[in-house]
Formats: sequence, C-alpha cells, structure tokens
Amino acid sequence: MPTPEQTDLTVRAAVYDSVMSRSKPFTARELSQALDLPLAEAKASLERLASGRVLVLQPESREVLMAPPFSAIPTPFAVLAAGRVYFGNCIWDALGIPAMLGCDARVETSCGCCGEAMSMSVEGRALQAPEGLVHFAIPARRWWEDIVYS
Amino acid sequence: MLLFRSEEHVDRWCKAWNLPRGAVLSPDQTWGLAQAWHSADRRDPAWRRRTVEETEEVFRGLGLDGAFWQLR
Repeated sequence: MPTPEQTDLTVRAAVYDSVMSRSKPFTARELSQALDLPLAEAKASLERLASGRVLVLQPESREVLMAPPFSAIPTPFAVLAAGRVYFGNCIWDALGIPAMLGCDARVETSCGCCGEAMSMSVEGRALQAPEGLVHFAIPARRWWEDIVYS
Repeated sequence: MLLFRSEEHVDRWCKAWNLPRGAVLSPDQTWGLAQAWHSADRRDPAWRRRTVEETEEVFRGLGLDGAFWQLR
C-alpha cells in the first residue's frame, strides 16, 4: 500500500505526463483509472498537491486548473510547441512551457493594455528578436495570496 | 504577468486598473526567469519546490533585487 507521499509523486508525474502529451491534465477520474487508484484517493492527492502549491485546482470542481507552467483551460497565452497548442497561465509561464519541454515554440498573446497582437519565438533555447516589456504587478511575496490573479 | 508593447502601455494599464507600477522586465529577463523556474522535470520523483532561500537566490542570479522580489 503506497504512502500518501508516494501516491502524490505518482499523481504529480501523471498530471504532468498528461498535460505535456495532450495539452490537458488528467481529471481526477482519469487519474483514478490510469493509476488504478480509488477516486477518493486521486482527489485527496490533488488536494495535497494543491496545499503544497504544486498544482492549483479549480474552485468548484476541484479539477486541475494549473500545473505550472501549463493552464488546463484556454488563456490569452497560447503556446505552439512540439506540434501542439498549450496554454500558459501568464507570459512568464508561457515562456516556461518551451523551457520545460526543451523545444522551440511560438507564444501568441496580446498587449495587456490595448490588445494589439504580440508574439514571442523561442528557437534553439534563445528568444528571437523579442519585443515589448513584461510587467509583474504583484510583489513576489504576495503571489500565492491569490495565484490565479497573480 | 502580462506582455506590453511599451512603458507607456504599462503605465496606461496601471492607471486604468488603479494599481501601482510593479516590476518591469525585458523579454530576455523573463525568458531567463522562465528557464530558471520551469526547466526542471516535475515528473521526476526528486523534484521539489524551491525553498524561500533558493528562490531568492534565483531572483538574485537574474539581477532581480529590491523589495519587489523579497519573499520575507
């Protein structure tokens, strides 16, 4: 019988495997089926991983919302990489996706102020002809007060 | 964390939302932060979240200092 800590390692790996390979993390039910875990244990593990700030869960369904740098739902930070479309939680996370996948990518977003389309490309582990500026509105020590807003 | 076309657009956005200006990074600094933060494989059982001290070291290594980047 695995300990909760062992289960959490397995669940964390499965969540990241799923989001990296198909752009969406497993649901609790899919985790239960893929890992042969009782559904209640899969849900409890997701809650522990959220408490440990490894994942962020949706407020009502308690399914994964963020497996940083990936978003489980579409955002204004689309990342085209490895033949797939991923979504980042913010521009930092969007750039984190090619960093994590170790591949080239194009980030499609827009100016936070006026909505003008903007993009960034990563090729060969380098940012290509970057334009614009990135604004961090919330001081670092307050990011986890409301990570969705941050 | 949003991308803006220019400093003027950052200021306009802060004014519209009635928020103080935070920290402004170049895209290359943000890419450096993304690489430092997200390159590790979180499927690896050995992966763990950084401690406060380790996180502060990442910020310092990228030249991100000052009150905005302090964690305590």
